[in-house]
Amino acid sequence: MIHQVLEWTGYVILVYFILMQGYMTFLGARSAAALRRTHHLGRYGRITEMLSSRTTPPVSIVIPAYNEAAGIVDAVRSMSLVRYPRFEIVVTNDGSTDDTLALLIEAFGLERVTIPYRPDIDTAPIKGIYRGRGAVDITLIDKASGGRADALNAGLNAARYPYALCTDADVILDPECLMRAMQRVVEDRERTVAVGGNIRPLNGSRLELGHLIDASVPKGLVARMQVLEYIRTFLASRPAWSEMNALPLVSGAFGVWKRSAVIAVGGFTNGHLGEDMDLTMRLHRHHMDNRIPYRIVYEPSAVIWTEVPDTLRVLRRQRIRWHRGLMTAVKDFMPMTFNPRYGLVGTVTWAAMVLFEYLAPIVELAGWLIIPVALAVGALNIASFGWLVLIALGMGLMNSLVALLLDESYGYFNSPSDTSRLLVMAMIENLGMRQITVVWRMRALFGGGAVRSWGDMERRGVASLGARP
Amino acid sequence: MTAIEVTQLSALIIFAANALLVAGLIALKTVHRSRARRHHRRKTQYMALISRHVTYANCTDPITNRMASDPAFLDALIDVRNAVVGPEVETLSGIVDRHGVIALQEARLRSQFPLGRRLRAAVALAELGDESAAATLMDHLADREPEVRIQAARGLGRMKWTPAIDAIVARFPVETPWVRARFADTLLGFGAAATWPLIAYIRVNHHFEREGPVAAIRTLAALGDDQAAQPLIEVLRNATDVEVRIATIEALGLLGSLRSAPALRNQARSADWRVRAKAMTAIGDIGDAGSVDIIASGLNDANWWVRRNAAAALTRVKGGVDRLCAALGGDDQYAAHAAAEALTEAGEVGAARQRLDDGRPLERDRVLVERLIGVGA
Repeated sequence: MIHQVLEWTGYVILVYFILMQGYMTFLGARSAAALRRTHHLGRYGRITEMLSSRTTPPVSIVIPAYNEAAGIVDAVRSMSLVRYPRFEIVVTNDGSTDDTLALLIEAFGLERVTIPYRPDIDTAPIKGIYRGRGAVDITLIDKASGGRADALNAGLNAARYPYALCTDADVILDPECLMRAMQRVVEDRERTVAVGGNIRPLNGSRLELGHLIDASVPKGLVARMQVLEYIRTFLASRPAWSEMNALPLVSGAFGVWKRSAVIAVGGFTNGHLGEDMDLTMRLHRHHMDNRIPYRIVYEPSAVIWTEVPDTLRVLRRQRIRWHRGLMTAVKDFMPMTFNPRYGLVGTVTWAAMVLFEYLAPIVELAGWLIIPVALAVGALNIASFGWLVLIALGMGLMNSLVALLLDESYGYFNSPSDTSRLLVMAMIENLGMRQITVVWRMRALFGGGAVRSWGDMERRGVASLGARP
Repeated sequence: MTAIEVTQLSALIIFAANALLVAGLIALKTVHRSRARRHHRRKTQYMALISRHVTYANCTDPITNRMASDPAFLDALIDVRNAVVGPEVETLSGIVDRHGVIALQEARLRSQFPLGRRLRAAVALAELGDESAAATLMDHLADREPEVRIQAARGLGRMKWTPAIDAIVARFPVETPWVRARFADTLLGFGAAATWPLIAYIRVNHHFEREGPVAAIRTLAALGDDQAAQPLIEVLRNATDVEVRIATIEALGLLGSLRSAPALRNQARSADWRVRAKAMTAIGDIGDAGSVDIIASGLNDANWWVRRNAAAALTRVKGGVDRLCAALGGDDQYAAHAAAEALTEAGEVGAARQRLDDGRPLERDRVLVERLIGVGA
């Protein structure tokens, strides 16, 4: 009996593995085709004409801030240098207990104003609104604490322009990222409701005056693993999802949103740990339910740089938070899963998200757990098992290598040392580190680990990021 | 074949594929790096060579046909072309003609693939702006690839090839918004020569289409040619499509001609709030003091956008700030909010405070500062 149970469990895991690899191979191939085209257009297209064009829509850059005194002034200065013809910066101080508010007021000569505030989306009470008269068109919203989503909603309420770039205070924007993202909006203003960008880890790279000078791969294994992960996620799957108009997630660190569409679905959900995924999926649902033509796209050449956790402790907290966010989203959007009414979003991308992201730690852990049991009862064919493990490791390596090949057209990480570091990481990633993340995600599933609405990174400020090794 | 043999074979295939991928990645990175270095080095040499030819008419340093087909030579030519003016452009055109650079790029543009090579050729022809390529670029205004169409129009714009204006305008209804926007940018480069073709297109088509005429009207607005005001007033009188009317109102505001004031005042009474809102802004843009009453009535409009635009317009019209100050103390709370926002945006509060500090205040300044800063001060 136990032999039969183990055999069938083995078959289920094998089929799951084959399905997952098939899906990833499909995404990789589709992404490669999409990236090839955007690569040529990015290289030869004359995007800078947008700078002098009257048809370029203005954008509000919304930055939520909580206890960001260490770097908020540098972050706003850095963002004010982005190449775009017309934009404003809206900073929301979400009840910071440090000097975030005072520093901003002093640095940008802000004055308190009594202009009406339109609460299109409900938020925690607004304590004051400040405006600057300097070169930077900046609005500061001081509000009671309500979390990141609440701060973003307040920023969207105060935004004056039809599109809002929602980002974080601890990121470095590539000077052309906003233009490249907004190009996708200009292509189809009627239908485009959100554009996601390409997020890359900043650790190990050299910065000067808030600008990235030299991108390189960090030496630390934890950060290096995430470089590989980000490349895989942003280059080997999102372009494919975007091509199918079935992108399940526009990342919170860089997302251009059509303000009216976000307001129509009620803004970011307060207290949600994956508020970016939640909003993206609600936009899909809203437009499909109401049969409104729309598109949510991803632009790989719109690059921003962010610091990723460089210790296992911080990474664990972040991954638990992410998986909790995914769990809530899976519960909220369960009716969309495998539902043909929601097109490719319901039947392919969201279904795959549930199967291969949400359930993956359970299946993977089950796979590791039946090994000792099978060994104990003599049901394990050691030779077959060894070959299967090799296949699993080989396929994991192949996914990373395909992503690295796709990344080649962007011209980052070109030195021999960067190449070798990434290759070594691709080879050793599946020997322990991946298994650790499975354990963390299992902890998230069973309610373990504390989570914070405002993220897990220690705030050090964009100006100081480049100084670290 | 047994199951274990299948497994073994699969594992071997996967590892062989991985080995190939690793080798491919290393080779690709090495090739890219060395190619970029060599390209940069050659481009620098070519720039020096071309500069010598441009500077000294009798320069005997050889430029071979082989060089002329090198992408680095093309990049160098483009960089030099963008740096020189006057007679030096003629000299450069001579080099381009002698070595068949244009013919080569035209042939590449006409080929079916690959996309990267066609795009590079289109960009090169656009950047060089040599009139011998005009016919080819005209043909490619209808190319299957949008970016090629954009570059073709840009090239024709750079060489101020006026026969292209009609052809570009004629593409408006069939183009995607992105291409249309770039075509509009190109037309701006032609200046006033584009005004009448655009007007003719709008007159004929605004009853039948929306997107094309709207883009053409916006282009006219950006051109800023006063000749367009009267035809646009006629379009506004006859247009049935609300988007066309909104675009026309906006254009009239940007053109700033007082002749359009009566037509805009009519639109300020429209039943459609978007038209009313846009009309308020346009009247403010032309600064028509005779319309101050009608704009002030917009402060009590039922729609938020109309109130906001009316208030903003009043800050730009003579006598408007006094009307806003009056609205601040009025019974209509919504009008007061709109007035407060507009006065703050226009910097009237800071100016009033400054005058108070300087001891030469206007009558309204004290009320204005108390009402708008008092809460936060």
